[in-house]
Amino acid sequence: MTKYFSKDKWKHLFYTVSHPVDGYYWIRHQDRGSIPIALLLVMIFSLSFSLNRLMASFVVNDLDPRTIDSLYELGGVLLLYVLLCVSNWSITCLMEGEGRLKDIAIAIGYSMVPLIIFLNLATIISLFIADGEEAFYYLILFVGIAYTMIMMLVGIMQVHNYSLAKTLVTLFLTMVAAFIIIFIALLLADLIYQIYNFFYSIYIEIIYRI
Amino acid sequence: MKSLLKLKKIILALIIMTFLASNFSPVLANELPYDTYNYNYYEDIVYTPAAYIPSGSISGTQLVYEGEALGVFSNPRDICKTPEGDVVIADTGNNRIIILDSKMTKVIKVIESFDNQGENDSFSFPTGVCVSIKNELYVADSYKNRIVVFDKDYKLVKIIKNPSSEILEDGYVFTPLKVSVDYADRVFCIAQNMFEGIMVFENNGEFIGFIGTIEVKISLWEKFWKRIATKEERSNQRLFIPTEFTGIDIDDDGFVYASNIDENGIQAIRRLNPRGQDVIKKGRNENLGGDLQVDGFTKYSGASQITDVVYRQKGMYSLLDRKRGRVFTYDHEGNLLYIFGGLGTQEGTFVTPVAIENIGDTIIVLDANRAEILTFVETEYGNLINEAVGLRYDGDETKAVQLWEKVLRLDENNELAYIGIGKAYLTSGEYIKAMEYLKKGMSSEYYSIAFRRYRNEVLKENMSYILTGLVLLVVVITVGRRIYRRRKGINKERGLLDD
Repeated sequence: MTKYFSKDKWKHLFYTVSHPVDGYYWIRHQDRGSIPIALLLVMIFSLSFSLNRLMASFVVNDLDPRTIDSLYELGGVLLLYVLLCVSNWSITCLMEGEGRLKDIAIAIGYSMVPLIIFLNLATIISLFIADGEEAFYYLILFVGIAYTMIMMLVGIMQVHNYSLAKTLVTLFLTMVAAFIIIFIALLLADLIYQIYNFFYSIYIEIIYRI
Repeated sequence: MKSLLKLKKIILALIIMTFLASNFSPVLANELPYDTYNYNYYEDIVYTPAAYIPSGSISGTQLVYEGEALGVFSNPRDICKTPEGDVVIADTGNNRIIILDSKMTKVIKVIESFDNQGENDSFSFPTGVCVSIKNELYVADSYKNRIVVFDKDYKLVKIIKNPSSEILEDGYVFTPLKVSVDYADRVFCIAQNMFEGIMVFENNGEFIGFIGTIEVKISLWEKFWKRIATKEERSNQRLFIPTEFTGIDIDDDGFVYASNIDENGIQAIRRLNPRGQDVIKKGRNENLGGDLQVDGFTKYSGASQITDVVYRQKGMYSLLDRKRGRVFTYDHEGNLLYIFGGLGTQEGTFVTPVAIENIGDTIIVLDANRAEILTFVETEYGNLINEAVGLRYDGDETKAVQLWEKVLRLDENNELAYIGIGKAYLTSGEYIKAMEYLKKGMSSEYYSIAFRRYRNEVLKENMSYILTGLVLLVVVITVGRRIYRRRKGINKERGLLDD
C-alpha cells in the first residue's frame, strides 16, 4: 500500500499538474504514477460534482436537491471513466500507442485535479454571488474544465508518444469506440434479459403443470 | 331469531344514520369531484386545497317566467353579466336570450322576438351576448349574420351587419360568434373563419379594422419539408393558417382579453391594448397556456384548449379549458394562482364547458351539453389568495403579508405566498428573513436583491477587520517563507529533476 501512496507518488501528482508534459512522460517511462491515486481522484471529482449540484447557490443552480443522488452519480462517473479508459486503450492498441491501460487510467485520473479544485472553488464562490454576477462562477468553472481538457490531451499524447494531430484523431476514434461499446453492452443486456425471461417462463410453466 | 331481528334493526338504524349524515354534511374539499393542484417552480404538480368548490347548478327546468316553465336550455353558448350583476344567457338552440337576476333564481326577461322597424323579428342561433356599461345588450345573431343591439328596456337600438371595407374579401359572409363592448361602445367581434383577428366596429356600426392578429410560426423543420415536397404534395398539406380566437372579455381600462387555442400550450390568452398590441405579462416560466404537464398518448393528453376568458378583478383573469374542464386563474403578472374543475358527469363537473363569467365571489360556467350553469363559490383558501393578490395589485404588499401567512397555514407549498412575505421583509430591511422566504419561493431575482443588500451590510460593518486580516496574512506568509528557507538552506527553487 505504501508503494501506491508513497510520498514520491503524491509529489509527482502535483508535479504533473504543474508540468503536464514532463510529468506524464515520467509516468509512462519511470512508473511514477499510481492507479489508486487516480481512482481516488475520480471519486473525489464525482463527490465534488454532487456537492456542486447540491450546495451551489440557487442563483446559479436551480436543481431540485431531492433529485440528486451522490452514490448514483459516483457509479455513473466511475462507469464513464472505465468506458473512456477501455475505449481509448482499444483504439491506441491498434494505432501504435505506447501506453498501457494502466498509463491511460492514470493520465485521465490525474487530469481531474484542476476540475476538482475549480469546481469546489466555484461552489464556494457561488454562495457569495447574486444574480448578474454569475459570470465569476462560470469563469471559474470554465478555467477548471479547460485545464482538465488540456491535461487530458497532453496526458494521452505523452503516454502514447503521439503527435497532437494523431492524438486528436485517436480521441475522435475513442468516442466512436465508446459508442460501439455502449451499443454492444446494451445488446448483451437485452440478450441476457431475454434468456432470463425464457428460463423464467419455463419455470412458471413447470410450476403450473406440477 | 330474536338476535337476527335485533341485527336487522341495528343495520337499519345505521343505514338511516348514514343517509342523514350525507344529507346534512356540507360539501367538503375532500369530496370534490376533481383534483385541485398547481405547478411549482420545477413545473411539477403540487396538490393544493380547493380554491373554489361547486355550489350547485341552474338548468332551464327549474326556472319560471311569467307563470310558465322556461324549459330546458338547448345548446347554450354564452353567458355574460350586466353592470348590476344580472346574468344574460344565450340559449342558442332555442333562439332566445334569457336574463336572470344575480342569484339566478328569478327570470327577469326572455327575448324571443323583437320589434324591428315595425316588423316582428327573431334570432337565429345567437352564439354570443354582451352587456355594455350603458346597460345595452349586444347579441351575436350568427345565422342571420348580424349583431343586434338592445337598450336597457330591451328595445332594438341598432343592427350591425354587412361590414364593408377594402380589407375584406368580396362576398365575405359575416358570421359573428362572440361579441364584446368597451366603455366607448366600440364593438369587438370574433367572427367565423376570420383569421385576421378580432373585428372592431365603431359605435355607429361601421367596421374599422382588425386587432390582435395571431402570427403563424413555421418551424425550420416544416419549412424544410415544404421545400422538398412537390407541388402536388404541397397542395395536399394542411395550410398554415392562424388560429381563431375563442373567447373575449374587456377589463375596466378597455384592454381586450382574448383567448385562443394554442396547440403548443404556451400562450392561450392575449391582452390587447387599443392599438391591438399584445401587452400581457408572462410569469417566470413564460407560459400562459393552462396545464404544463400534458404528455401522453390518451385523448386526455395534449395542451389545454382554452375556450373562454373572464376578467375578474385587480388584474386577475380566469381561463376555461375544454380539454380537461379546468379553470385556470392567473394574476396580472402571469402567475398561475389556482386550478379547479374537471370533466365528468358528477355534480360540479363539465361535459362541454363553453363560457365562464364571475358574479361577485362566485364563478359560473356554462355547459352546452348539460345545458346548465354550474356555480362555484370561493373557499377560505381561494378568498385569501384573491384578497392578497388584490392588495399586491394595489401596491399594498405589507398588508398582504398577513393574508399570505394564512395561505401558508393552509398550503405550505405556495410559492407565491413565500415570495409575498419575502418581499415584505425585504422592504422592511430584514434581509436574512427575506432571503429565507424568497429562497423558499424560488425567486432568484428578489433573493438576489436581498442577498446583495445583506452582503453590503456585512461588508460595511466588517471592512476594517477584513483589510487588517489580509495585511496580516501577507506579512505572515512572506516572513514565514523567509524563515523556512533560511532554516533549510534553500537559496533558489530547484526543479524536481535536478537530482
